[in-house]
Amino acid sequence: MIRIDNLSFAYGGGEKKVLEEISLHIGEGDFLGIIGPSGAGKSTLAFAVNGVVPHHFNGDFYGRVTVDGLDSLEAGPEALARRVGSVLQDIESQLLASVVEDEILFGLENFSLPRAQIEERISYALAAAGISDLRARAISSLSGGQKQKVAIAAIMALRPKIMLLDEPTGELDPQSSLRVFETLSQLNRLHGVTIVVIEQKIMMLCEFAHRLAVMERGRLILEGPVEEVLLYPEKLEAAGVNIPRVATLAGKLRARGLYQGKTPLNIAQATAMMKEATKDAALG
Amino acid sequence: MSGLLDYVPGNTFLHRLHPLSKLIFSFGLCLACFLTQNHWLVLGVIVCSLLQAALAGMLKPALAVLRALSKLSLLLFLAQVFFVRQGQIVLSLPLDIYITDQGLSFSCLFVLRLIAVTLPLFIMLSITRMSDLTNALTRLGLPYKYAFALTTAMRFIPLFGKEMSEIMEAQTARGVEFDSKNFCKKLKLILPLCLPLLLSSVRRIENSAIAAELRGFNVRKKDSGYKRYVLGRGDAAVLGALVLILAAVGLEHFYG
Amino acid sequence: MLRLAEVSFGLEGERIISKISFTLGQGEFAALLGENGAGKSTLCRLSMGLLKPAAGRVLVCGQDTAAVKTSAIARQAGFLFQNPDRQICRPSVAGEIMLGLELTVPDPAERERRCRETLALFSLDPEAHPFNLSRGERQLLALASVLAPGPRLLILDEPTTGLDYRECMTVMEIIARRNREGATVLMVSHDMEVASDFARRVLVLNRGELAGDGPVREIMRDQALLQRASLLPPQIPALALSLGGQFAAAFTIEEMAALAANSRRGRL
Repeated sequence: MIRIDNLSFAYGGGEKKVLEEISLHIGEGDFLGIIGPSGAGKSTLAFAVNGVVPHHFNGDFYGRVTVDGLDSLEAGPEALARRVGSVLQDIESQLLASVVEDEILFGLENFSLPRAQIEERISYALAAAGISDLRARAISSLSGGQKQKVAIAAIMALRPKIMLLDEPTGELDPQSSLRVFETLSQLNRLHGVTIVVIEQKIMMLCEFAHRLAVMERGRLILEGPVEEVLLYPEKLEAAGVNIPRVATLAGKLRARGLYQGKTPLNIAQATAMMKEATKDAALG
Repeated sequence: MSGLLDYVPGNTFLHRLHPLSKLIFSFGLCLACFLTQNHWLVLGVIVCSLLQAALAGMLKPALAVLRALSKLSLLLFLAQVFFVRQGQIVLSLPLDIYITDQGLSFSCLFVLRLIAVTLPLFIMLSITRMSDLTNALTRLGLPYKYAFALTTAMRFIPLFGKEMSEIMEAQTARGVEFDSKNFCKKLKLILPLCLPLLLSSVRRIENSAIAAELRGFNVRKKDSGYKRYVLGRGDAAVLGALVLILAAVGLEHFYG
Repeated sequence: MLRLAEVSFGLEGERIISKISFTLGQGEFAALLGENGAGKSTLCRLSMGLLKPAAGRVLVCGQDTAAVKTSAIARQAGFLFQNPDRQICRPSVAGEIMLGLELTVPDPAERERRCRETLALFSLDPEAHPFNLSRGERQLLALASVLAPGPRLLILDEPTTGLDYRECMTVMEIIARRNREGATVLMVSHDMEVASDFARRVLVLNRGELAGDGPVREIMRDQALLQRASLLPPQIPALALSLGGQFAAAFTIEEMAALAANSRRGRL
């Protein structure tokens, strides 16, 4: 679905390369989490996928990015926008309307969707994001978590094949973050949307993402299925990325010779791990 | 908490009006206030605005704005009333300070106008969705891009207000005393705070522009609008009322 | 150090904080937890005197916030906001640190000394322009200028939100060191792991009411309380709860691993 080959980029006027020789393939229906310290180039990589780089921010662009068969250099940002729906970091500045339904209508109008389809798209998007009850609410009266879902719904209405989100839970409490990720997971499973999400909360990624990409100083240092990436705790730590406590626990149990199995990604798997580690030792 | 200039949702008679009628009506009222010299007419516009607010179910915020405006008006009134020297002296104070009847009349009209102009605009913005306003402006011939930029800028005003109060709060927490009575001193304290506000605004606006672009803002066509607005009986009534008010102002001007 | 007695606060007829009482003694480290909109930030502002209670009293180092100016409170307490850009307004790092000192420390020589100390502690470049720093560096600068005057009480409103893991640890370790040196800390956080690692006491806020107050190990295990306040327990306590029995009391990774080893040895 997304192919990034040997991508390097430096913002115009800047000498420093923000992205260096990145190659990454994201398949259809994938759920990829991108993690890394601040300044690692995560947001710039997201901009390279939705065409903001190099179309909005100019600079030295080397390599190739293809999205759903389109070369991002040749296709304009609008053509890319039909395929990639983006939710940016600062939620306040990207909600442009007064009322939830108008926010969703904005993109549909811009892309001149046939009138007959519009109503259906609006209700589909609201239902998919789980906010049908908020349709007539003023956006200024919503909580942070609700605003985040409105932004997701506004993108869903355009039925993109790919959704790209930059730290969608940055300012949310644990429960609201969980709900946003549940929404994304549902879109991924039920609607087949490919999801790419930049996130600092590693526990959320372990619970919901299929693959992880770890970035540091413009480079991609690790990439693969979540369990595999977690097998390199030293590499992650050196890059300034923490790993979930249950994964660290797995390492400790392995070191004591109590456990040989897979790294647990959530509490249920960790419970199974502990049962395994403490089960009838006479057999082991 | 809903701030100033935030949309107040509703489905009242006023909410349902054609956005163009709302725009014309509120600006018409402002025009009437500036054309007339009659205090009662201006007072009438204020009463009419409060009536509108009540109809739209937003009397409480409107009264809050009225209260805030009254405080400002009192200051402006006092600042003006002593400087008009023409006319008959009504009240004489020591040190050659006095108030004349003309001064009284002029200052009254000035502050009444200030209130009468602000209220209709405030109400119009509270009961009109930004997208409807944008569409109404394009109907008046403004290109969509400019209309959108204008309404988006308006949407940013409450955000900036919130940000400024947060910045002042952060400085207060460090020990800066903003409650100084000295205006110059206060200004000196506030001015350096404009830099962080300016920088975050630039970032915000950039972000908004990217967000709009990513949702196809640039491919929007002239007929991309989904909503159809129809002029109804309500619009006729409101515009009729406006014509009557403007006629009254005209009559008063020539015969009053 | 900080005392709230029956404190209530509302805006436009809406109750945000109702009848909250607690006392933080010198050297305590308390985390204030709760969902978005529970009233955590309002409680912080009340504790700093930025808002005055509608009912009840707030005492900071014995001073009633309703009776004195906020600038008097600022001499005793430091307040760090979530977003450093609200605070930073001087064009150089050293200037920014000096600003806080100018308002609280009268002696110029003392100010110079503290500024140098702080710059060294945070390894910041005094000449750098704050807006050329990264988000994490700006948060460190904001923390530096709050800590420079040596406040006895620290109120921190989500000090690590928006930071990556390494920056988060740098900030938290500096705060923990100040706490060991005797400063009292009240910290709002959404990160349950950070709260459980650094705080010794937890206050749980739910819809403006104090729903829980106790040692961190007890609160993090109180599933009913956490659920009521829409909070999720940190991973190890959650695992301990899920396992139950002899594992129910485990709070850290080491404790859990040791318990697993013991249980195995016990059976052999």
